[in-house]
Amino acid sequence: MDFETTVKLRLYRTIAETTRVPDAAELARALDASTDRVKEAFRTLSGRRLLVLEPGTASRIRMAPPFSAVETPFLVRVGEKAYYANCVWDALGVSAALHRDARVLASDGHTGEPLDLEVRGGKPVARPCAIHFAVPAARWWDDIIHT
Amino acid sequence: MLLFRSEETIDRWCEAQGVARRPTVSLEQLWRLAVTWYENRLTPESRRPAPDEMVGIFSAIGLTGPFWDPKSDQWS
Repeated sequence: MDFETTVKLRLYRTIAETTRVPDAAELARALDASTDRVKEAFRTLSGRRLLVLEPGTASRIRMAPPFSAVETPFLVRVGEKAYYANCVWDALGVSAALHRDARVLASDGHTGEPLDLEVRGGKPVARPCAIHFAVPAARWWDDIIHT
Repeated sequence: MLLFRSEETIDRWCEAQGVARRPTVSLEQLWRLAVTWYENRLTPESRRPAPDEMVGIFSAIGLTGPFWDPKSDQWS
């Protein structure tokens, strides 16, 4: 297994276990590698659109999709743990990635009223709602944080 | 993308934001996308679908046309 894959696996498994997105220094210690080498792996994974780095640094991750390193309007409860997701797609993605049922604490994008979603028995519980894609697929990565 | 209670609140949001109304997907469609994108994310083999694969994934759940084509130049 190449080093980028090792970093990716440790990164995602750390998030799954702790709900936190580790930085390069923390992963370097866990992997007994140099921080510079982990930062280079972060850059490679970012180039493959598997990570989004914080602007101006390769030390910290903003998004490890479907997980977010910062608080967002999409909090996903899985058992006793809670994760932030980048968007409603990723909120369901947390459940899919962890292969666990989940409750998404979200809200209506216009009114702000609570609009929770639930995945139970491996599928979403039906409820009235709609998801609006404001940005076409060809432009998603122009500004992925906005998308 | 944003979550709304109904198509009507999407219309109100677009009007308030001054943005164009664009396609919507159902909860069931979004779940299929979430599973396709992320079910292997914690495995060594995980990767993001390539643009041509994305077109097929979207088409399989009824999302077709240039809006769902990551290589479309209609939006440049």
